[in-house]
Amino acid sequence: MNDTVLREAAVEEGARARQRFILEDTGFDEVPKKYRRFYRRLSGPEDSLAPNEVICPVCKVVIRSTRELREGDRVYCMPCMSRLVVVRSDAGHLEARVVY
Amino acid sequence: MSSEVHALAPAEFLEQVHSFEFWFQSVEGYLADTEFGHRPGTPDLELPPDRRERLITVLCNYCIGETAALEGASGLIGFAPNRQTKIFLATQVVDEARHLEVLLHRLSELGVADPESEIQRRALRTLPVFRRRLLELVASKDWEAAIFAQNVVLEAMEFAAFQTHARNADPVTREVLEGIVKDERRHMGFGENDLGRRLTANPHVRARLAQVKRELDPLVLESFEEMLDVLHIPRSERPELGRNYLATIERLGFAP
Repeated sequence: MNDTVLREAAVEEGARARQRFILEDTGFDEVPKKYRRFYRRLSGPEDSLAPNEVICPVCKVVIRSTRELREGDRVYCMPCMSRLVVVRSDAGHLEARVVY
Repeated sequence: MSSEVHALAPAEFLEQVHSFEFWFQSVEGYLADTEFGHRPGTPDLELPPDRRERLITVLCNYCIGETAALEGASGLIGFAPNRQTKIFLATQVVDEARHLEVLLHRLSELGVADPESEIQRRALRTLPVFRRRLLELVASKDWEAAIFAQNVVLEAMEFAAFQTHARNADPVTREVLEGIVKDERRHMGFGENDLGRRLTANPHVRARLAQVKRELDPLVLESFEEMLDVLHIPRSERPELGRNYLATIERLGFAP
């Protein structure tokens, strides 16, 4: 799922600018309406994550952000009520880990 | 209040997701147009007699699991550590009762005239043993052990088993199970996160829970294996049944 890139954010201090995204409603129906665009279901093995997405390790829903995600970012999985931090895996991918 | 979910403060996030308001607005999304857990227009295919029999046996055992979850969750409210948790558990009680109701209704759609006696007659060996042990833990008011048994062990297993079954089920049963799985996400997540916070603050509790885990693991794993055997779901299609649970307990710091 690739959301519309809204704009490149202003250059952050000492870092490349982050992309911003306009999130579309993907039909995810398990949270209140105003939060639905922040989540989607994995659509199968061919599905790939966009730079603004990570998978919740607890319930496997795709968590989406209005900005490109980076290590250290905090996100919430509302469908399973988990608080997560974005980390870089040994394989070099961004992934989410639960913060209790 | 912000609609940028990831900008919420942790306390604000927890207050929202543990509320009845959150629950109402969430279940409205996937239950509003359903009757007894499925859309009225979904075709109810006539199943071959053998497949129908097997489905009835499995649904009867799901009823045992959901009854245990209903009794367990309602018992937990009495000694939950704070009001926010009591409110969340009340939403879980409603979910568990709905699960039981839609499963009983599905049994009646399949022609079961007396579900109560059918459930007793078709109970597999291990699930009633797990139910008894869960209710003992709740009765002992051991919060960590009871929430572990109910919202981590039982819910993680149900989540995986129902997902696996839904992929192989007739259209009506599939919709019923998919709706239950959406509820289970909240229960499972609540259990892991509540327990995770407690274990972080009180690491010594882990040894006691490891003992409970050793006792319950074989019961639950065997229960769901028995049910998937009844459904004739090949072993190659069951990988996430154990994996989901093992990943959860690993995150909580238990050895598999």
